[in-house]
Amino acid sequence: MRVNYQTNNSTQFRILSDDQCKELYSAALQVLQHTGFEVHSKEALDLLSDNGASVKGDRAYIPASVVQRALDAAPKCFFVYGRQGDRSKSLDIRPNHVHYGLGAGCVSFQDPCTGKRREYHREDAATVARVADALPHIDFVQSLGTIGNIPQNLTDVYEFAEMTVNTSKPLVTYVHSMEILRVVHKIAVAAAGGEEEFIRHPNYLVLGSPASPLFEEPFAVERLFYCARHQIPYISTSAVTCGATSPVTMAGTLVQVMAEELAELVIEQLAVPGSPFLLGGVHSVMDMSTGILAYGAPEMSMLLAAQTEIARYLGLPYYSTAGCSDSKLVDEQAALEGAISILMAGLSGANMIHDVGYIEFGSTGSLQQTVMMDEVIGMVKHILAGIQVTPESMALDVIDRVGPGGQYLTDDHTLEHFKTEFWFPTLLDRKPWQAWEAAGAKSLGKRVQEKLNRIMDTHTCAPLKESTRETIDIILAEAEAKAGRA
Amino acid sequence: MSNILVRMSEAVIEGDVDAVVGLTEQALNEGLSPKDILDNGLVSGMDHVGIEFKEGNMFIPEVLLSAKVMHASLDILGPLFAETGTRMVGKVIIGTTQGDLHDIGKNLVGMMMRGAGFEVFDLGTDVAADVFVEAVREKTPDIVGISALLTTTMAGMHDTIEALQEAGLRDQVKVMVGGAPVTSGFAQKIGADGYAPDAPTAVDMAKEFVSA
Repeated sequence: MRVNYQTNNSTQFRILSDDQCKELYSAALQVLQHTGFEVHSKEALDLLSDNGASVKGDRAYIPASVVQRALDAAPKCFFVYGRQGDRSKSLDIRPNHVHYGLGAGCVSFQDPCTGKRREYHREDAATVARVADALPHIDFVQSLGTIGNIPQNLTDVYEFAEMTVNTSKPLVTYVHSMEILRVVHKIAVAAAGGEEEFIRHPNYLVLGSPASPLFEEPFAVERLFYCARHQIPYISTSAVTCGATSPVTMAGTLVQVMAEELAELVIEQLAVPGSPFLLGGVHSVMDMSTGILAYGAPEMSMLLAAQTEIARYLGLPYYSTAGCSDSKLVDEQAALEGAISILMAGLSGANMIHDVGYIEFGSTGSLQQTVMMDEVIGMVKHILAGIQVTPESMALDVIDRVGPGGQYLTDDHTLEHFKTEFWFPTLLDRKPWQAWEAAGAKSLGKRVQEKLNRIMDTHTCAPLKESTRETIDIILAEAEAKAGRA
Repeated sequence: MSNILVRMSEAVIEGDVDAVVGLTEQALNEGLSPKDILDNGLVSGMDHVGIEFKEGNMFIPEVLLSAKVMHASLDILGPLFAETGTRMVGKVIIGTTQGDLHDIGKNLVGMMMRGAGFEVFDLGTDVAADVFVEAVREKTPDIVGISALLTTTMAGMHDTIEALQEAGLRDQVKVMVGGAPVTSGFAQKIGADGYAPDAPTAVDMAKEFVSA
């Protein structure tokens, strides 16, 4: 027998020690208590004041004990399901369970057929959802764009409706107003099969955000309250620009974003204790030459891995960012920035890793990038699984059986294990020169486009129930009438 | 060019706030005009900073430090401009649209415009169309710069342009728009005169507008 034997059941990675997590968390608590957090909402300020925070003007000074109560109340694990309670598509939100998905809100879109950068339209939301539905390593779906050619109060609504129809995977949405959130929620409830069903099997998450540094806009508070009261899982995603909206140092940035997001947690848990909540982030450096928030920067991966570890230390799930690029094209830069961030976010153990498919620092959504990154995620998942060390995998009998000078190709052990022990590329090329030439001498970009074309030509999502579709159509008609477009 | 002006532009380039105050006073004592100090000392230093920035040799925080040096000098020169009625490079009003509390981008533009020698009036965040109109009437700027971070508040840009039109002030000013969700297509659609994707471009465009 073996004693005191340790096994790594998956690949190990740490960027902070537990002591560093504790120190950064303590510092965030001090910010909340000493500097405070500005909240532009009387309702939230009253709630904070009634529960132990000291409020002066718009600013709440939140003591550590209040934060601790919120941490105790927040669920440590929960599930988000596919529409109609589909368990096979569910996100298992608990420590070290990793899921990847798309992002939303890009103002431009890379045309999925021509590759040209253009405005994002309603039919693109349908295409994005359908392609994401087909990709094996994409676990949750967002729209990859903001519809540009219709009134603004309908954009999020159409995106959500198209996604509901065209994918059975869980959705994430960023809504621009309370009116929109109420309509989106109606659609989600219809897709779940009713209010009660939605509470049992929530099928989407809402993305929110404190404003940096250290304040909460009126709409952000309303959205937070609405999510808590309707048990919609809420993601608190500060998106700070180091050196501009947060300190230039990574440690200082971590302290500030933890303070901001913990303040949202406190407000939400005071409103409805036990509401599902994720910490999250799109933190990166300001490129000091162009002023952009750099989506391909190494600091982004470092900051998000670090905050994932702090979240895990506190027992909260985390929503991270990867698979993006600052490049204007889906080119070599997009591939390497996307790949490194996907590996880093995966290693960190973040629960939901979003924005797979962003190029041009989040200004353009690209299905070409999503398809390429899907392959990277497959590769990374294989790395994350680590090396299993067991008597069967150490293969002493096999080594003995084959012996010096033998070969393993025809051994049963090889046959039995090669399909699970090895990762099989679907896009990356390993062909000999002649075979590659005979297949058209294609670059990765070309193969990505072909795969994307194939999915668009052939994949259809399992249909929604007819009655659900009708309900959604009625909801849309109401929203259109309200927006003055019959 | 006088030696003191060369030293002033060096102070701007090197970001030496302390030095520029003494140099400004010295230059005035030597009898140089505020306009001469601005154009051939400060602005010539900032022009150099602009070139270095575009070539990637200087970075945003360093440019902002140079702008701060320039402000320190302009604090002294400003009142003299008012006395003599001399105009600076140009006059700009900036603000973030109604409903939008985000202001980092707008502030960056403001700082860089000041650094380029513009007189800048910052109306802050959550600025309604009629507030823009009132400010244009009162300050008679060359340029109005409107910023938005949210797609929901972008509509405020259009409202402001329409309000300027209705007030009969549209022809007196150039309207520039910017912010993460804004595109050149959107700027065109709402009838803005210009769209700048970043602060340095905004400054270049503003300079073109006032020299045209």
